[in-house]
Amino acid sequence: MNKIETKAFIQEKFAEYYRLNSTSIDPPSSLENREFAFLLFKERMMLRHKGFKSAEDFRTLLKSVVPSDVYYSSAHYEKPEEEMEAKGWLGADLVFDIDADHISTPCSKQHDTWTCNNCGTTGLGIPPETCPTCKGQKFDDKSWPCEICLESAKRETMKLTDILTKDFGLSSQEMTLAFSGHRGYHVHVENQAVQTLDQVARKEIVDYMLGIGLEPRFHGLEESMGPSLEEAGWRGRIARGTYEFLLNTNVERLEDMGLKKSVVNSLINQRDKIMESWKGRGPWRMKGVGSESWKKIVEKAIENQSVRIDTVVTTDIHRLIRLTNTLNGKTGLKKIRVSASNIERFDPLKDAIAFKEGEISLVVSEAPEFRLGDQRFGPYKRMEVELPTAAAMFLLCKGAAQVREENPRV
Amino acid sequence: MKITDLTSPEYTQVLSRAEKRIEEAILYALVSEQERNDEIEILSFPIAVMMVSTTNDPFLKRRYALAEAKRAYNLLKQENKDKITQIANTFNWKIKPAKSETADYTLYFTDYLRNTTGFQETKWKLVNRTMLDGEILLTRDETARLLAEEVRGHIERRLETKTGLELPEGIINRVERLQQLYQSRKGKMRLEEMPKEIVLDAFPPCIRQLYNTILSGRHISHVGRFALTSFLINSGMTVDNVVDLFRSLSDFNERMTRYQAEHIAGGRGSRTRYIPPKCDTLRTHGVCPGMDEICRRIRHPLAYYRRKLRIMKTATETPTAPRA
Repeated sequence: MNKIETKAFIQEKFAEYYRLNSTSIDPPSSLENREFAFLLFKERMMLRHKGFKSAEDFRTLLKSVVPSDVYYSSAHYEKPEEEMEAKGWLGADLVFDIDADHISTPCSKQHDTWTCNNCGTTGLGIPPETCPTCKGQKFDDKSWPCEICLESAKRETMKLTDILTKDFGLSSQEMTLAFSGHRGYHVHVENQAVQTLDQVARKEIVDYMLGIGLEPRFHGLEESMGPSLEEAGWRGRIARGTYEFLLNTNVERLEDMGLKKSVVNSLINQRDKIMESWKGRGPWRMKGVGSESWKKIVEKAIENQSVRIDTVVTTDIHRLIRLTNTLNGKTGLKKIRVSASNIERFDPLKDAIAFKEGEISLVVSEAPEFRLGDQRFGPYKRMEVELPTAAAMFLLCKGAAQVREENPRV
Repeated sequence: MKITDLTSPEYTQVLSRAEKRIEEAILYALVSEQERNDEIEILSFPIAVMMVSTTNDPFLKRRYALAEAKRAYNLLKQENKDKITQIANTFNWKIKPAKSETADYTLYFTDYLRNTTGFQETKWKLVNRTMLDGEILLTRDETARLLAEEVRGHIERRLETKTGLELPEGIINRVERLQQLYQSRKGKMRLEEMPKEIVLDAFPPCIRQLYNTILSGRHISHVGRFALTSFLINSGMTVDNVVDLFRSLSDFNERMTRYQAEHIAGGRGSRTRYIPPKCDTLRTHGVCPGMDEICRRIRHPLAYYRRKLRIMKTATETPTAPRA
């Protein structure tokens, strides 16, 4: 099958999914005030400014259009079908996006590949600034969700919900967590009081999560004094971050931070005493470590406690968000809700599988090793294989494979 | 009561007090605290609001609201804890007395954010507050400050509502007098004009970095693109020149780039001309490459540009003093 036929094949599979599962796809709250958008398979065009009166109308359109991706506005509008200026903004949910792209992970994205558009040179990881062969600057990159990436994104999501719960006092009913079906998690807050916050106010919330503009002196860090572990808000977070950092650090890291040899020695040699000190007033007044050194250590603590959210998504009050239980056109997995209490045990590469039956024969051009469900696949390079539908759809959506001719058409 | 009644002699004192409030706002950006007669004091406020509202001058409106807010702050500071809670409740704030030695109240974060995002001091940043269960600790003085801000917003909104009233001549005369006073003052407040030519050497570090990145044909983020384009447009570059600058990008699309540049310049759609984001916002989105000496004194890239131009000008105009 060629590229166009493969695309048609993917769309037919998506159509089958929506035919069988449309009743499980619930439109968001305040349906009538939301804008919907559909990314079409045909020419990758975005069908925007759609509005619906009922869940049934929405499902009917979904089944007839069969888009590659389905989005709705975090904003509520008086007239969602109008042009942007005439919609009449009423408010917007508070949305957070955590994407592996924004987190530096131990896998260093070695599963991602790039190809220079100019000369065709390829490489692993994040694309370089200029191509080593031709000095070209434009690349095609292919990113793969790997378990290490997804685990890091999950850790960040847990940090985020912790802050939202403890610091912001939001309840689990007000927060919805979901795996996006590709490389990250979304946290969606619906609470009357946050609806009408403007962009500047949302920026302050972003800065809170990332620790931007944080001045430790406002959180009890003074000469020979500092916050303690159980305190509220950033006070406690600074203390806990410092605790963790000093527990796990080593000579090399401390020296890299520009700390004096004598300070490094004090911190390493007296580690037990430091850990013990947290039961009392903390290590802030220990001999041999001055306030300048503490400032540097606290910077690391803030880095450790802050959450790598996408800054643009949260400050954008007109953002389009993928709808839960719809398919992600990049993977063929579905966006799926995760309960906050269950996130530790949540397995994105298993729980988000949408296509559970049958097999498909493929010609795979190239793919790294990956896991889906309980099975491992690949690596593949110019190979013909027969794979379970979910794994096959994953490679097809990634553009890494084409369907072999003898497959029975669906 | 009809609006024309206001010109009858018994209201002269009220009108004079209203005029005085605005005059003080224009001259000192402050309304002095109290008139002995409560009735005059109270009645003069809505009349002053009506008078400012008819000027249709957004700068005067803002200045007046700010001046009244300062007056409110000075009064609120002297009120006791219960009174402050009462006033906060009239604005539907979620406020409670604090169970803390260092704070007097706790306030829900959305009420807090709504009234602090205009403040510049770093102590007001949400990330620099202690927050638990959505509640932020505040001292009495801080609460008074936030209430004053709420008052300011409240007055600004009132100044925006159209009354549709035809004012009697006696009042119109007073308004005209105030407008003249304001015009004569405004000249002194106006910002320096921008030079006609773009002065690259006066660019702030963020804009310089974005500019160089584009020149070398590399990509910049959406926020970066917006910051660069709006900066260039506001410092006097033409849309054509901005479009040319982006030409070196491999995915350059003339129609799209021109559309966006024109939109930012205010030539399309909403007709508003956009200015670059504040330093604070650029920092949030990772566009700020780090501050230099001038950055520490300003909060906006355009303010940097103006300041640097001024420094460069004085440097060339001042002859080096002969050494003794």
